[in-house]
Amino acid sequence: MDRRRALALFVNTTVAFIGSALSAVLGAFALGPSRAWQSARWVRAGALTDLTPNVPVPRVLVISRQDGWYRERARETVFLVWDGDKSIHALSATCTHLGCQVRWDTDTTNFRCPCHGGVFDAQGHVVSGPPPRPLDRIEARLDPSGADVLVRL
Amino acid sequence: MKFRRSASGLGEWLQSRTGFRGARHALLDEQLPPGTGWFFTLGSVLLALLGVQLLTGAFLTLYYAPTPDHAYDSIRFIVSTAPGRIVHGLHHYGSSFIVVAIVLHMLRVVAFGSYKPPREATWLSGLALFGLVLAFSLTGYLLPWDQRAYWATVVTINVAKLTPLAGELAAGVLRGGDSIGALTLTRWYAVHVIFLPALLILLVVLHVVLMRRHGISGPVRSRPGPMTPFYPWQAARDTAVVAVVLATMAAFAWNGAPPLEGRADPTDATYVPRPEWYFLGLFQLLKYFPGKWEVVGGMVVPGLAAAFLILLPWLDRGPERNPRKRPAVLLAVAIGMAGVVTLTTLGWRDSPRNREATAWTLREIGGRTLVQQTGCARCHSEEGLADSLEALTSSRGTEWLAGHVADPEMIAPGLREPPARRDEREVAAIVAYVHRLARQPYPAIPRETEVAGAIFARFCVGCHTIDADGGKDGPDLSAIGSKRDQDTLRRIITHPTSVNPDAEMPAFGKRLTPAELDAISRYLAARR
Repeated sequence: MDRRRALALFVNTTVAFIGSALSAVLGAFALGPSRAWQSARWVRAGALTDLTPNVPVPRVLVISRQDGWYRERARETVFLVWDGDKSIHALSATCTHLGCQVRWDTDTTNFRCPCHGGVFDAQGHVVSGPPPRPLDRIEARLDPSGADVLVRL
Repeated sequence: MKFRRSASGLGEWLQSRTGFRGARHALLDEQLPPGTGWFFTLGSVLLALLGVQLLTGAFLTLYYAPTPDHAYDSIRFIVSTAPGRIVHGLHHYGSSFIVVAIVLHMLRVVAFGSYKPPREATWLSGLALFGLVLAFSLTGYLLPWDQRAYWATVVTINVAKLTPLAGELAAGVLRGGDSIGALTLTRWYAVHVIFLPALLILLVVLHVVLMRRHGISGPVRSRPGPMTPFYPWQAARDTAVVAVVLATMAAFAWNGAPPLEGRADPTDATYVPRPEWYFLGLFQLLKYFPGKWEVVGGMVVPGLAAAFLILLPWLDRGPERNPRKRPAVLLAVAIGMAGVVTLTTLGWRDSPRNREATAWTLREIGGRTLVQQTGCARCHSEEGLADSLEALTSSRGTEWLAGHVADPEMIAPGLREPPARRDEREVAAIVAYVHRLARQPYPAIPRETEVAGAIFARFCVGCHTIDADGGKDGPDLSAIGSKRDQDTLRRIITHPTSVNPDAEMPAFGKRLTPAELDAISRYLAARR
């Protein structure tokens, strides 16, 4: 290889290397804010004494979520369902069809969505209407003292 | 074979549609005089550094928020990931590298007499670029909105007030409002990311076009031999130097820029402003011209230096380029550089270190033990109701934190068991610890020091100082071990009048356990 071609190869590979190193760092920076969202945590949703066995009770929770450098305060409605003993579960109030907030109808003992007539039973399963899947279940438990309901949001 | 033919076919097609070979020829095949060497690589280094600065800057705007409420948190968010730390670090150190490279580039031009006819306009556009780089630095310095940023900007704006006749106007234009605040930040941000880069690109293009128009000045004495094309001969030298410079910069940037200081606090009267290192010389100059003479240090001397540089092609006339035959100019520049270096060194040595830069104070260390005793981790943990203390991304003010520590029920309602009550001094130590933790991970500190720290923060800090933190009523204890041994210290703390009948210090024999007395006296005896 003559000197001219060797130098050209050196220039081209070095420039290509610098360019790719810079692109890799900038690309990783642009794509991956690893702490943009934080994982769910247990939030106090109410006292057990406020619940009636087998009747879903709506709770509006204010949860703060980390959105990058911003702390966002979001309101979220969950239904707490208690079996009257030790077992408790929670359902999201967001309809799985198009995201309207469902309501508990005490007469028919169903969840009803006001938007497109979706109907769910007390366990969140679809009874009729357009919703494609059951209401989202949210992890719930009693705190160690047994007085408070905690949900994971 | 087939591939090669189709590749050349694509090349022909592109050539016929875009004429790219002409552009390539114009960019790379510039004919350079023989003897063009390593001294002529600095322009390419600057071009590469400016390119990196533009790229990293553009990407930083993806996450940066230019408001006083969020700027600081957004930078902390940026440096919370490894790529963010590197990008931020490159942008931070890039400015220093550019200033050094620009000064070397100018020294080369002065030594080689490259500003002489017909290249005066090239020289002037270069000077304008230098000014632009300093303007970038000043405006960028404010953006992190930490103490360092805020107080350096206070000084900048006070210097601007020295402008003859239009001082208040200049300061008002820079501030955007009555005081340094949201309007200043958006203004400096806009200037930093829109106006200055646009001007920079224009001026760089102008500078390079002018350089190409007249050709490079080449070595002082022209040598015999054929002209060589830029690529790959000079390009190889340029690439080698650029690679070394960028690798050095990457090494600096690997662990990110120096850590942020506390969030900007306009009420903190104790903070000592300190500019970026390359402004230290100017900063130092101001100190020699107090009161009404301030305008001399802030405006007249820098103005004269700028005027000298602008007029240089007309002060140093004649075709002679050999530095040995232009002693007057070289001497003047050497004196100027010596002045800059001396002032910068003096400024470096004079500027008192702020507490931020040094190690953890004893009060902050003590705060950690108090945090553990208070039970903050019941909520502030990975699995808890609130962010763990290490992960707290919001940096609340001292008052909020003090209120929260004293009565969490007030700020985080719903908390079932209130934590142990804490008195004012303990709260101050906890607040100091949390604030410090927000900027710097907790270092490995011996358990003994932590115990001593908690005792110091609870009982001693009101009257005694250690490492510039504490009260002034009693003696400074930073080096007490060189005066008193452990046994004497223990007796003084237990019952001060047993050692010195006139002592005003209260006795702690009943308030500290024997183990605590041992711990604090042993720690103090070890301080020399």
